[in-house]
Amino acid sequence: MGRFADALAASTAGRGRPYEHVHHAYFYILPGFIVYFVFVLIPIVNTVRYSLTEWTGFTAPQYIGLANYERLLEDGRFWNALGNNAFFVIFYTILPIMLGLFLTSLMARGNLRGMVIFRTGLFVPQVMSAVVVGIIWRWIFDYRGPLNAFLRDIGLGAAVKPWLGDFTWAPYAAGIVGSWVEYGLCMVLFIAGVQSISEELYDAAEVDGANAWHQFRHVTLPGLQQQVLVAFVVTFIAALRVFDLVFVLTRGGPGRETQVVSMLIYEEAFEYHRAGYGSAMALVMTVLIVSVSTAVFYAQSRREERENAR
Amino acid sequence: MALKHFLGLLLVAALLVAGLPAAAQSETITLVVWDNWVRDAEQEMIEILNAEFEAAHPGVTIKREVYATDDLTTILPLELAGGSGPDVTMINQGYSGMGALVKAGLLLPLNDYADQYNWWDRYALGLHSRNSFSEDGTQFGVDNVYGISNTAEVVGVYYHRAIFEERGLAIPTTLAEFEALMNALLAADVTPIVFGSLDGWPAIHEFSVLQGVYITLEELDAFMYRLPGGTFNTEANLQAATKLVEWVDAGYFSPGFAGMDYDGATFGGFLNQEGAMWITGNWMTGSIVEELGEEPVGFFAFPSDEAGVPAIVPGGVGLAYGIRATSQHPDLAAEYIDLVTGPRAAELLFERGFFPATAVDPSLLSEGTLTADMFDVWAAVSEANAVGHWLDWTAPDVAANIQELMGKVVTPEQFVTDVEADYTAR
Repeated sequence: MGRFADALAASTAGRGRPYEHVHHAYFYILPGFIVYFVFVLIPIVNTVRYSLTEWTGFTAPQYIGLANYERLLEDGRFWNALGNNAFFVIFYTILPIMLGLFLTSLMARGNLRGMVIFRTGLFVPQVMSAVVVGIIWRWIFDYRGPLNAFLRDIGLGAAVKPWLGDFTWAPYAAGIVGSWVEYGLCMVLFIAGVQSISEELYDAAEVDGANAWHQFRHVTLPGLQQQVLVAFVVTFIAALRVFDLVFVLTRGGPGRETQVVSMLIYEEAFEYHRAGYGSAMALVMTVLIVSVSTAVFYAQSRREERENAR
Repeated sequence: MALKHFLGLLLVAALLVAGLPAAAQSETITLVVWDNWVRDAEQEMIEILNAEFEAAHPGVTIKREVYATDDLTTILPLELAGGSGPDVTMINQGYSGMGALVKAGLLLPLNDYADQYNWWDRYALGLHSRNSFSEDGTQFGVDNVYGISNTAEVVGVYYHRAIFEERGLAIPTTLAEFEALMNALLAADVTPIVFGSLDGWPAIHEFSVLQGVYITLEELDAFMYRLPGGTFNTEANLQAATKLVEWVDAGYFSPGFAGMDYDGATFGGFLNQEGAMWITGNWMTGSIVEELGEEPVGFFAFPSDEAGVPAIVPGGVGLAYGIRATSQHPDLAAEYIDLVTGPRAAELLFERGFFPATAVDPSLLSEGTLTADMFDVWAAVSEANAVGHWLDWTAPDVAANIQELMGKVVTPEQFVTDVEADYTAR
């Protein structure tokens, strides 16, 4: 708000007193706000209301207080699914960011030819529909598919597995696909960030005798702080609300090894017609996502304040 | 002059309309029908029936909308509850399908129409319980009938005739013979059963046929319809689970079955003779005939312990036609259902390779074809009163449990306990 008001004040400077016409601004955001209100705020409020009811989704809801939440606490399927989401955070968030940082550091200094093509290529998995990605990887992981054929060809026949149906390996296989989708996003963010780091900083570091690692640690990484933060939040949210990709790959199987919360919400609300209980699950996930995102941004702004104070 | 002429005509027209008898007011009737006929051959069949119905009822227009099976569980309740939904609709069975709709009072009980049109004789009386619920929707399989089906489904064993003939193998008549057959195939380096469990639900069939060897229909019905004493925790289920794990250990199923999907790897694998047999539903007959023709593949009923008596196998009737409780034209809707579930529909379905629930003239079948085998299996299974159930209607998570059993992450004892716990929690 502060920055917005400042900018507004600056733009109206000389045309009367500052802040005089600030209420006009609300008219400008009105169209956007109406859409937001109808399609985001009302549904969220309704989800809160429905989570306190027993409701099929098409008959009159019955108020049952916090019973849905009590049930959630004891629902082993929910905790199992949440655990799987947490596992996917490793593959959707942590791995892509580390991989992205590593590759960016390799490319940061050199002016690679055809960077635009490279960047586009990296971004393709993000643009493709998750269902398409899922079908492609399902084919790759198929027991008679290319991955196992490759393993046999290089003499690793013993490593051949029914990847997506194996109780040990299916979560990793489904996770790797997530990494493949998300690391391109991270890299595009990081490459853009690196290009805005002043060359002088690298030159100065070199003069001081910094090696590649030191340059990465003390120049690249601090310069990419904002980008890493954005990448973290975006991919973290993706990991917690993943549905389509896992649904196409494994349907949550084998057993319940890759079942995620979104799948449970869908099943409860639309297949078993327990929309109230589904709403409660959805709300818990929303609170979880919002609080982690807020905490990350809060920590970041605190750090910025400290640094600015120095 | 022209205007005067026009007004005169208008007046005449108005008088005519006002003077018409009440029956002709049906000119404005539009019957909204939701169905699940998505494939080309199916569309052709239903369009013919609709045209015939419209021809027999001047002034009635059928407005047809097509939905995938899942949409009939997710979208249909919302539409019906809104009061604007279809007059006639196909309904998915089970608690979360038909049960939820009955509970909400959205469907019309069809008992009176069933008496009037004698729908009870369309197929075995017991099969009508698949489309029945208590009035409050809490008890499956009893009281009112809310839908009439026109197709039948049965799980059996597809096999490559050539593989059997080359090795002098005969169709097994008991479970022991079935296992001996599989051992003979293994010895000849042929995978006995093509199977893939990646999609989850196909695993239900492998368990169900073995369950059907040990269980009685009463026990199974009690479980499915949640009657008093209905439980999964039985000796029969434990025996079936133990046997299934034995089969996994013996290598009777495709190697890497956990990573094979149904439509691609399993279906393709069977067509390519990557194994001798495939235990699945008769709905694959059309596709197999399309790929290989009528002769190379046969279909037989899964055997029980007793020679010549088939095991209880999953089967029953396909999606059912029902009527919206608030429909303005229930009589007309019933007449429509009578047509699309009747002998004319059966004929059209049969001609297109589908499996009508109503019997067709046996002279249409030619010996030694897959289609004839399929009808024989249905006849044998119905005759033995061995039409079982889809376990996931009442235990929706059971596929995951069977994957765990076959992946040997749980013991048979644990499997039975797990399914029972899920069953009682719902």
